[in-house]
Amino acid sequence: MKHLPKHLRPRWRYLAVRIEGWPDAAFDRGDFQRHLWYAAQNLLGDAASADVDLTVVRFAFADGDGWAAVRTRRDEVDRARAAIATVESIDGQPVGLRVAGVSGTVRACEEKYIRSAPEITTERAVAFEGAERTAVVRDGRADVRLESAFAGATTLDL
Amino acid sequence: MYESVHARPDGESTLARQALTAAEYGYSGVVVRNHGDRPCEADYDEIAETYGIDVVDGVEVRADDPSRASGFVGSYREEKTVVSVHGGDTRLNRFAVEQAAVDVLAHPMDGGDFNHVLAKEAARNGVRVEFSLARVLREQGGTRVRAIQDLRKLRELVETYDVPYVVSVDPTTHLHLRAPRDLRAVGEVIGFSDEQIAQGLREWGRVAERNRERQSDRYVEPGVRLGAYEPGDENDQPSDTE
Repeated sequence: MKHLPKHLRPRWRYLAVRIEGWPDAAFDRGDFQRHLWYAAQNLLGDAASADVDLTVVRFAFADGDGWAAVRTRRDEVDRARAAIATVESIDGQPVGLRVAGVSGTVRACEEKYIRSAPEITTERAVAFEGAERTAVVRDGRADVRLESAFAGATTLDL
Repeated sequence: MYESVHARPDGESTLARQALTAAEYGYSGVVVRNHGDRPCEADYDEIAETYGIDVVDGVEVRADDPSRASGFVGSYREEKTVVSVHGGDTRLNRFAVEQAAVDVLAHPMDGGDFNHVLAKEAARNGVRVEFSLARVLREQGGTRVRAIQDLRKLRELVETYDVPYVVSVDPTTHLHLRAPRDLRAVGEVIGFSDEQIAQGLREWGRVAERNRERQSDRYVEPGVRLGAYEPGDENDQPSDTE
């Protein structure tokens, strides 16, 4: 179909979302999208979800660290933020989400708020709470592997 | 704005990690609210200095009955800056709002109830009630619906009787934290005003500042300090000749 003239196209805003999880978290764009839409529907209802849109247009996530660019309508940024904040876990894997910033184009969103090179992640043996453990260390933070779970720590704790 | 956190061993993340994340999210401080039986052993000053964020020593008193809670409040009052009471039980809610020594009644609606009698008492004793967004952010379906209903009830009482309040997401890991701006957006969806959430997050900092002042050696009573005269009002500067 012929695309809309410029003045009739929706005004989009792109939210740069920082995603943090435990190092063993594994989900892809589709999972994130699904949970985002569920969250919006549960919090705001069908009518408002249709308005806030929340399409994931860029996505990268590996080793418990990543980001996404999420599209919303210009006048719905606040409700989009609210919906994003209520995504607590993705397929049972807890995540911490934060809207780092809002831009008018995907490109500006990437350039302004997204670190270009991913932080280098290393796995090494550490001493944590008086025991030998392995930890996934990245950018000053360390996720220490315990018997059945992880503990969030930083290099200060090791 | 401040957030109050449960750090290891009361949560899954260490205080350092919570502080690092909170600093990144734009908070200016964190209040430690570990339950009394699971104290955090971390070096607060080192963390504060490393991550550039204020770290406030606090405790959340958890007890089975008011008389034991009273003992705990008495013993923690001297050493901790912010003393909260783990609410959610009708008798403990009642106890907490009647004690001027208590700074914060935490999550009063989480299993318990709140009414106009408690609201008046809380306002009279200056006990802040907490709006806990934990269940709004981390529950689904009916549980969350009830949590939002509870917050509304509490909010209406707080507004009517002008009760001081704080806002928190009650995080036990750094993944539970949410940025202040995101919380304001959530608050607006569930019926809070933008300013109410911001005010609730700032209140943690205010109570910490007030209590630190009270704990300092120079403090005698409100408005009375030991030491040399210091002009408090800049319009009334005495000359430097004395």
